[in-house]
Amino acid sequence: MRGRWLGALALVALAVAPWALARHQLSLLTDLLIFGLFALSLDLIMGYTGMVSFGHAAYFGLGAYGSALVLIHFEQPIPVALLAGALLAGVIAVPVGWFSTRAREIYFAMLTLAFAQLLYTVAYKWRDLTGGSDGIAGVPKTTLYWGGPSVAGPHAFYAVVAVSVVLSLIVCRALVASPFGRALQAIRENERRFISLGRDPRVFKLTVFVIAATFAGLAGALFAPFRGFASPEVMFWVLSGQGLMMVITGGIGTLVGPIIGAMVFILIQEILSSYTEHWMIFTGAIFVLMVIFLPGGLVGTARRLATRA
Amino acid sequence: MSVANVVEQLLNALALAGLLFLVSAGLSLVFGILRVVNFAHGVFYMLGAYFGVTSVAVTGWFWPSLLLVPPVVGVVGAMLEASTLRFIYRRPPIYQLLLTFGLALILEESVRVVYGPTALGVEPPALLQGAVEIAGTFYPRYRLFLVVLGLAVGAVVWLLLTKTRTGLVIRAVAQNSEMADCLGADVTRVRTLVFGAACALAGLGGVAAAPMTTAYLGMGISVIVDAFVVVVIGGLGSIPGSMAGSLIVGAAQTWGAFYLPETAMVIMYAVMGAILIFRPWGLFGEEE
Repeated sequence: MRGRWLGALALVALAVAPWALARHQLSLLTDLLIFGLFALSLDLIMGYTGMVSFGHAAYFGLGAYGSALVLIHFEQPIPVALLAGALLAGVIAVPVGWFSTRAREIYFAMLTLAFAQLLYTVAYKWRDLTGGSDGIAGVPKTTLYWGGPSVAGPHAFYAVVAVSVVLSLIVCRALVASPFGRALQAIRENERRFISLGRDPRVFKLTVFVIAATFAGLAGALFAPFRGFASPEVMFWVLSGQGLMMVITGGIGTLVGPIIGAMVFILIQEILSSYTEHWMIFTGAIFVLMVIFLPGGLVGTARRLATRA
Repeated sequence: MSVANVVEQLLNALALAGLLFLVSAGLSLVFGILRVVNFAHGVFYMLGAYFGVTSVAVTGWFWPSLLLVPPVVGVVGAMLEASTLRFIYRRPPIYQLLLTFGLALILEESVRVVYGPTALGVEPPALLQGAVEIAGTFYPRYRLFLVVLGLAVGAVVWLLLTKTRTGLVIRAVAQNSEMADCLGADVTRVRTLVFGAACALAGLGGVAAAPMTTAYLGMGISVIVDAFVVVVIGGLGSIPGSMAGSLIVGAAQTWGAFYLPETAMVIMYAVMGAILIFRPWGLFGEEE
């Protein structure tokens, strides 16, 4: 019950934010939501299936490149670009997932990292298409539909992002509550038992890997027009690692947690980086302490305290 | 393509494999004993390279640095294990991977603070400068040294593990740490020592690499990704596996860079993919 109230409250807060916040604050919130969606997508495979991907940034990056190319070369409305980015990430995730899901646990993590570095290298080297290390700049925020209103203003684009993220959260929640989602959690809890019940875990793993990559792609597809560029950095392993940190910070296997985790994580970075350029040392240290002392993350720990009280 | 050319490529592959082995052997060893995939392992390689730069700059000698730096890196590693990792061995493996990721961030940025963002070079020692003639081609001496170093370290590690009492205890802990504990092995100490020794190996790789690649930020991550591929191919926890994996990756990267410079990386992953289809747990690994 309390959760439902908090959810409603969060929705109201998101709805009034454009009026309550200053321009740069709204821009920061848009950023937080985009990375929240990225972390949310990672939680689908990490929290609900127990497969830790160390290369999730690759799909964020593919989404960013996909939407950037569609927007620059074809000037299609934003939803087309979002679809293109998400689809590109999902399609590339099929062969990668096919290989990676053959392996388990640590091997899976290493394989996803290796493939992500491979995709990063492709983005870096394929200058004609991706602009190499310069990336693609000047990605326009086009319109809502063909001949429709422009979404270039900060309020309009915030609305696009907020609606996308909230819808994604709803879809993901429905997904993990569905029989498919239950099967994923069964794999997480005991894969051998799942196999002995006559089911094939690989089909489920591959499917959820592709779904997670698609949502990560959607996040990337929002990122490119929001920031106006796509560059190899958005595919780099650092972002994959940060995604893991966001999930752990917020609370693994909670869906909402990773969104909150992403927000907290980026805010900490914002604050630290205004004091020191070597903020990575401090985020690293905070993260080490979190892993040791708060394995449930913020939401996990809060829920445990709430049930105890 | 001439014989000389083939020989040159072969030696290049072996030199690269030597470096890769120094890094991946420790990664594999730590996984075998601690069941931890140490994401920070590449950073210890980088640490070795930078400490090597300092040591050579201060003493002016390469050889003492080669002996001095690895133990220092090893002590740093052992101290980090004892102060963080030790407390979370009972957690699911992913928490340890994440913790070492945090450590990697701290160390990488610390190196940037201390040494600055520019790459730093090291002169190879006089003995290893220049080239020697092999099968009609002139080949850099330093790369030959890397081949020898990789082989020598591989032999030492293998002998240590299979022929000595220490090696026996280490293998016992790898096989069944609880049973080894019951039989009187100090498992906590073995873990710290093995972690330190693995970091020292990576550090040795770093010092040895510095004259060839210079010491630069990001060398840790690039080597750890290659080392991951090596141990995935060879099988985690297996020293012969690391050796075989290093040779395969060294060869794939060298010939890839020669014939298809734009797609060298792709070849390495294609080889890995092909091997994984038939043996998902690697060439020498054991099915879990």
